[in-house]
Amino acid sequence: MIFELKKLLGFLAKKKTTILCLSVVFFFASSAPDISAQKKFSKSYPASKNVRLLLKNRTGTVTVEGWDRAEVKISAFVENSNTKIAPENLSGTIQINLVKDNHGINEVGSVNFVIKVPYFSSVNIETMMGNLNVTNVRGGFVKAHIATDGDITLTNISAENVAAENMTGDIFFDGELHSGGIYRFSTTSGNINLRIPPNSSFLLTATAPSTRNISLGAFSGANMNLIGNGRRIIGKVGDGSATMTVTSQRKSISFIRR
Amino acid sequence: MNCEQCQELVSIYLDNELDTNVSMNVQTHLSLCAECAKVCEDFAMILDFCETEDILPNSKALWCRINNIIENDVNPENLQEKQQQPLVETSWLAKAKSNFWQFTSSQVVASVLGIALISSLLTVVGLKNFAAGEENYAAATPNIFEKVLGKVGLIATSQQTREKRIREQQTTVDYWRARVETRRENWEKHLREAFDRNLNEIDQVVYEYDRILLDNPQDELSGEMLDSALNEKVELLREFSEL
Repeated sequence: MIFELKKLLGFLAKKKTTILCLSVVFFFASSAPDISAQKKFSKSYPASKNVRLLLKNRTGTVTVEGWDRAEVKISAFVENSNTKIAPENLSGTIQINLVKDNHGINEVGSVNFVIKVPYFSSVNIETMMGNLNVTNVRGGFVKAHIATDGDITLTNISAENVAAENMTGDIFFDGELHSGGIYRFSTTSGNINLRIPPNSSFLLTATAPSTRNISLGAFSGANMNLIGNGRRIIGKVGDGSATMTVTSQRKSISFIRR
Repeated sequence: MNCEQCQELVSIYLDNELDTNVSMNVQTHLSLCAECAKVCEDFAMILDFCETEDILPNSKALWCRINNIIENDVNPENLQEKQQQPLVETSWLAKAKSNFWQFTSSQVVASVLGIALISSLLTVVGLKNFAAGEENYAAATPNIFEKVLGKVGLIATSQQTREKRIREQQTTVDYWRARVETRRENWEKHLREAFDRNLNEIDQVVYEYDRILLDNPQDELSGEMLDSALNEKVELLREFSEL
């Protein structure tokens, strides 16, 4: 028995290179269908500093990142090869509307976007389903809307108008508030976490009617009023120059010092 | 015998009912007086006609005559009343007109205040009713004045406004739902599932606030949240109807 085992090990040692090669081939062969199923779309546009990006997706993840170039670069990974992507560049506005472009097509599939925009761009992205991420944008407005499921993550944002709304999913905002700016965050079933500088000043209306879980953290103070048995908090932080409205119908709201 | 005496006795003469002497005197006068003879002839002809023809009274003409008589008796009284009435009215109007512009200072002040109050009320009612359709009904808590107006029935209460708004939204929901139903077969399975899951989530929220408002109709915050949830429902249906 021991002899037979030694014989087998000796055989495997001799064929080690062959086995290794076969394993590599098998690995690539198993992952090959995924690669071939995802079609990549890529397009770049020269853009002004304050370009506007309007994107309406059906399903999939959208990531928008600010960069230090006067250029918009759109990369899309398309699940279904029938899916049409037809960006338009109309007088300083780059528009992609997958809902309109694929109207009447039954199997559109998911499209995952990675879009690079100049820092001072304004961004308006919508999707029926999927996560939305916006990073390093300092333009006039940042708007993110998910019709159903998906998280919204806005990181390092400095815009005068920010709006984030979804149905089921969390919202995270990490950024600065501008004097006179309007900031609106709303979800039906999701947690909202807002990370803002300690010197921020704003008028707050925060509503969490189901849980009454509103944590103001470092921003809680004497100028806060509880309405409807704690279901809503209204108050002023600093001189109240910005306006912030936060609503989570069924989950919590938290403020974090940046 | 003169003519007058003769003509008075002609009718009796023709009936042969006079004394012989008187009858002879009448006959003598008739032979001498052509005028009285003519009267006697006329009488004789009438008598002759009456004796030969049976004259039946015309009932229609008779009733007509009776009616005319009655009307002639009644109308003078009515006419008298009608003639008297304008006189009374004219006198009353004249009296009123003469006193119309004669107000005391207190009456003038009271009138001005009344007009100002009614104008203010109508303005408030108008603005309220206009704003109710445009804005979120629960955004503002009604003040005492508005509550009084609501009690009186001049403006809708927040509950009435809410119910009206819900009915309107339900109509909108029904419209978009019908459109969604025609399209949902074309959606991918995971999208259909996400839609149903989220619609169910909103319906759950709507149900919860509905229950709260049944217990406490004055809960403005729940009213606002219900309104918001219904808006989200409409928005969800509208967005998916485009797919």
